[in-house]
Amino acid sequence: MSFASLLFQFLTPEFMLADTALLVLLAGLFKSTAQKRGMLLSLTLLGGIIAAAMLVLHPHYGNLSNGMVVGDPLTQLVKLTLLTLSLITAIFAAGSTVREHFAEYLGLILFSTIGMMLLAGTEDLLMIFIGLEMTSIPLYILTGYLKRSSASAEAALKYFLVGGVSAAFLLFGLSLIYGVTGSTSLADLARTPRAALLDPLLLAGVVMAMVGFGFKVAAVPFHLWAPDVYEGAPTPSAALIASGSKVAGFLILAKLLTIGFAKGTGSAAWGLFQPGWLPLLAIAGAASVVVGNLAALSQSNVKRILAYSAIAQSGYMLLGLMATGTTGISSVIFYVIVYALTTLGAFGVVSLVEQRRGGSQLHHFQGLHQSAPGLALCMGVFMVSLAGIPPLAGFFGKFYLFAGALGSVSSLYDGNLGLLWLIIVAVAFNAVSLYYYLIVLKHIFVIPTGAEPAQPSPRCATSVFVGFLALAVFALGLYPAALLEPIQNAVTSAATFAAKTAALH
Amino acid sequence: MSHDYLLLTIFLAIALVFPLVPLAMAWLFARCLTPAKPGNDKQASYECGIESTGAARIQFQSHYYLYALVFLIFDVETVFLLPFAAMGFVNISVPNFLAIMVFLLLLLESLVWAWAKGIFKWK
Repeated sequence: MSFASLLFQFLTPEFMLADTALLVLLAGLFKSTAQKRGMLLSLTLLGGIIAAAMLVLHPHYGNLSNGMVVGDPLTQLVKLTLLTLSLITAIFAAGSTVREHFAEYLGLILFSTIGMMLLAGTEDLLMIFIGLEMTSIPLYILTGYLKRSSASAEAALKYFLVGGVSAAFLLFGLSLIYGVTGSTSLADLARTPRAALLDPLLLAGVVMAMVGFGFKVAAVPFHLWAPDVYEGAPTPSAALIASGSKVAGFLILAKLLTIGFAKGTGSAAWGLFQPGWLPLLAIAGAASVVVGNLAALSQSNVKRILAYSAIAQSGYMLLGLMATGTTGISSVIFYVIVYALTTLGAFGVVSLVEQRRGGSQLHHFQGLHQSAPGLALCMGVFMVSLAGIPPLAGFFGKFYLFAGALGSVSSLYDGNLGLLWLIIVAVAFNAVSLYYYLIVLKHIFVIPTGAEPAQPSPRCATSVFVGFLALAVFALGLYPAALLEPIQNAVTSAATFAAKTAALH
Repeated sequence: MSHDYLLLTIFLAIALVFPLVPLAMAWLFARCLTPAKPGNDKQASYECGIESTGAARIQFQSHYYLYALVFLIFDVETVFLLPFAAMGFVNISVPNFLAIMVFLLLLLESLVWAWAKGIFKWK
């Protein structure tokens, strides 16, 4: 079979999405009618659902041109998640403040999704970079979409400049890695003897790549863009940056580190520091948890609170990545998916409140439980889940994350406390985070509203899907195995698959 | 361990020398060899060699930027069509022909999109 037709088989859902995006762009050119937004949205959803059906019904497992394009149950699961997140973002966009050029907005969401899906399905340095750029460039435009809002333009410029610098770091780091090992494939990288020796040049490459990824996932000290971007961007764009792009970013970071540098981990256990990528993750993760949670305390805008919360949650996930091995990876992927669903829902609520009350400051949320009790309840579920309170999915995510990190090292070094110091930091600052999540809920449930113009709450698809996300977060809290088991199966089968292909070479 | 980081140090040194030496040479050259003789002609803004008309600091319409972007459609089209023309249309296989047609269709859609959005109307 020729390379082109193989490529087409591997990437059918992505091709489907690209076709949908082009079609939506064309459809947007027709004269505007009252139903136009609905028509464009249904076209987008139709294409997305067909792509998802292709992904589920005709999964293509295998490995094309030494890891350039990879298909296994794990990538399939993550691609499906990314698709779901993007489609829900598109639904949120239909009921948001984005009014002009709506077809292009949907098209850009789809283009960004293609980038994320390519990113999820590759094990090659070059494709990682291309996938990241394909994800980021539409996101820059989506951030600056409110043409007449100077906050949006400022956010877009900041995001673009910081993103450009981080891409330069990443590319330089990847080129150093390629220069030392002589291959762009992650599997080859793991097999080169120099990868295990941790050449200083290779270490410099790894550090630079980590700087690049640190920008993408908004880890301290590369987090400064996040609050401004989340605040200034149209809410659906911020939701996509916080959910989809984070899922893809963490999956590829996990792949790069655990597949490519499986032998160069080093150690971050207390008193046993050794050079490698674990100490890097430990420092960035601990700093993110501390700075994110502390800075969120003094915010008065809910989008900024969500941004600092995102920084702190990135910190937890970086700590989770330190639990190498299949349990570690599956707990991180479980956590990032649960986090993405929760934060997407929270942004959906913010979007609705912005529509009805004209802003996302804390005082705009006052007395929400009187005017929109369902919405208030959903926001309650999201905030409590982000804080990690037991009956909800966020608790189990954090539990698996910390348990994995704790278990991974202490078995290796007898008598050493391992990563306990990191877990103590994370749990302590998780308690701090409860304050600002509950402040949001206090404004919603406790402080009565002032003289509020009684606006009829329009029934729209956004509130339906916010409810759906809240239900999902609640259900995954009651029965986490529903998501965790597929992830664990996918991760183990992906690992055995990688081992098999490695043996074949 | 002592010489482990030698390579990295050399790399860093070269990385610094590479941009700094030309800059220093340019500075030295300007300092030692060229006397400062400012004049009307010398300080005029350069416009392809013809005599300049007015100051260089004028405002451009941002609309002009869109023209430049749309120009890119045709520019890229030419560059990618050249290899196909060089292959000769006689020897071209059906899948290759379809591939280039899909590519042209994509460019055509962007042109249609730009047209319908009114980018070609000078405001």
